[in-house]
Amino acid sequence: MSLQVSDLSWGHPQPGGGWRQLFDGFQLACPTGQFVVVIGSNGSGKSTLLNLIAGTLRAGGGSVALDGRDLVGWPDYRRARVIGRVMQNPLDGTAPSLTIAENLRLAECRRRSVFGRRGLLGGLHPSRSDRRRYAALLEELGLPLADRLDTMVGQLSGGQRQTISLVMATLGQPQLLLLDEHTAALDPRAEATVMELTERLVRRLGTTTLMVTHSLDQALRYGDRLVMLQDGRLIGDWSAAERQQFTPASLRALYGSATVGSGFSPSP
Amino acid sequence: MLSLWIGALDQGLAYAGLALGVYLTLRVLNFADITVDGSFALGGGSAALLISRDVAPPLALLAAVALGALAGAVTGLIHTRLGVNDLFAGILTTTGLYTVTLRLMGRSNIPLTDPPLAIGHLPDLGLGPDGQWALALLLVVAGLIGFLALMLATDLGLALRALGNNPVMARANGISTRRGLTVGIAAGNGLVALAGALVALYNGFADSAMGIGSLILGLGAVIVGESVLRPRSVPMALLAVVVGSVLFRAMIALALQLGMEPVDLKLATALLLLAALALGRVRIPGLSDSGGRP
Repeated sequence: MSLQVSDLSWGHPQPGGGWRQLFDGFQLACPTGQFVVVIGSNGSGKSTLLNLIAGTLRAGGGSVALDGRDLVGWPDYRRARVIGRVMQNPLDGTAPSLTIAENLRLAECRRRSVFGRRGLLGGLHPSRSDRRRYAALLEELGLPLADRLDTMVGQLSGGQRQTISLVMATLGQPQLLLLDEHTAALDPRAEATVMELTERLVRRLGTTTLMVTHSLDQALRYGDRLVMLQDGRLIGDWSAAERQQFTPASLRALYGSATVGSGFSPSP
Repeated sequence: MLSLWIGALDQGLAYAGLALGVYLTLRVLNFADITVDGSFALGGGSAALLISRDVAPPLALLAAVALGALAGAVTGLIHTRLGVNDLFAGILTTTGLYTVTLRLMGRSNIPLTDPPLAIGHLPDLGLGPDGQWALALLLVVAGLIGFLALMLATDLGLALRALGNNPVMARANGISTRRGLTVGIAAGNGLVALAGALVALYNGFADSAMGIGSLILGLGAVIVGESVLRPRSVPMALLAVVVGSVLFRAMIALALQLGMEPVDLKLATALLLLAALALGRVRIPGLSDSGGRP
């Protein structure tokens, strides 16, 4: 599904008084299946943009449309039925007291309301067939969790939880995938695992994806398109081919010295 | 002496619905619900009124459940639609329910002279009417545990558990917090009202003030049950809550046996729960502070 963000506006009161209009007539169009990496300094509006698209923040004006269908007026939980999301904190994406299989089941059935008749009378879940399906999926993705479906998610490491969050976000055929610095809290090894899985899932599903990151290494390595935000404005927009012009150093210069994170790797 | 313990068993089973309702709101939904004090009396009062007007007891129990669920839904709506704090939403509803129950009953006390006919057809296990009550209540409670265990394993049940466990994750997976909390709190208070009706039937009367302290009794049952059985699955947690309810009544029976005045029981119950909370052994959302501990 294509994503069309049109004339988006949003602002917030400032601590010392006054008003900061972060987005004012913001535009972004992403064709179906495009993997867009979003970078920008702290406060540039990257995560806010994702929150406005996901509906966890209410836009002051404008529209967010998937294949022409305007999502304005949809609350966040309803948008979540068509938008998969992975958040920065591994603790946010899963229910720790539920097992891996139970978490996956919830994600799988998110396209419909669980408060309907099928929610109560649709059988017990996760069923045996659910489990077989989840085990096959995890094995196919190369995740060593297929034999731990009955493990409470709270017993997993941060990296494992984030891989489960990522798998959950892609279950239920989302029309849009939002990844909000989803590797920021992980160690380098877990980050590599999650990014490799991200790339594979996005390519396999062909889901339009927006990935916010502070890692310039990721920005130069992943995605079909790189965009840069500053103060709620799009100040850079490069295709994968155009991105080749950058070295980490030149991108860092554009990015601004305050934005270079500890995970920055100097060689592409 | 034996009749004292059988009586405690009967009381514990009659109060099991209260404990299960508190478990559902507090442990599953992570919602500190004060409504139970009002819905317990509402269940008892409405069932007693209907039975005193010759309505069949099963129908009276169903009506009590429906009214309790309605009361819970009101709390849920006050909290989710008006943004009122969970504790305050429950206090508002339970305060209003005191008048509703009194209006419904027409007087503060309704006696029930005869036990339900169906009880008399059950075997008495050599224990007389108390044995018949124990069997009847055991069947009801077993049915409740089975129903809840199944319900919590459906997609709806998974959603309710996720909502209490991580509301951010629940919303990110398409679950409406408003609907989930309202449905869950309604279900919890339906169970509590059922307990109120069963207690009224067992005691042979309903009193408009019978709900005072219900939350503490429910909490006590949940805490005792979880401490004793340390459940690791939902069905075991439900069983633990019922066992806790029976043990809690047994502790009260023991206290009475040791010479405690009945008038002192509520204070003793409150102190017992306070001690558990103060020692940090039990964390109750909204009621206790983790003190910086994870």
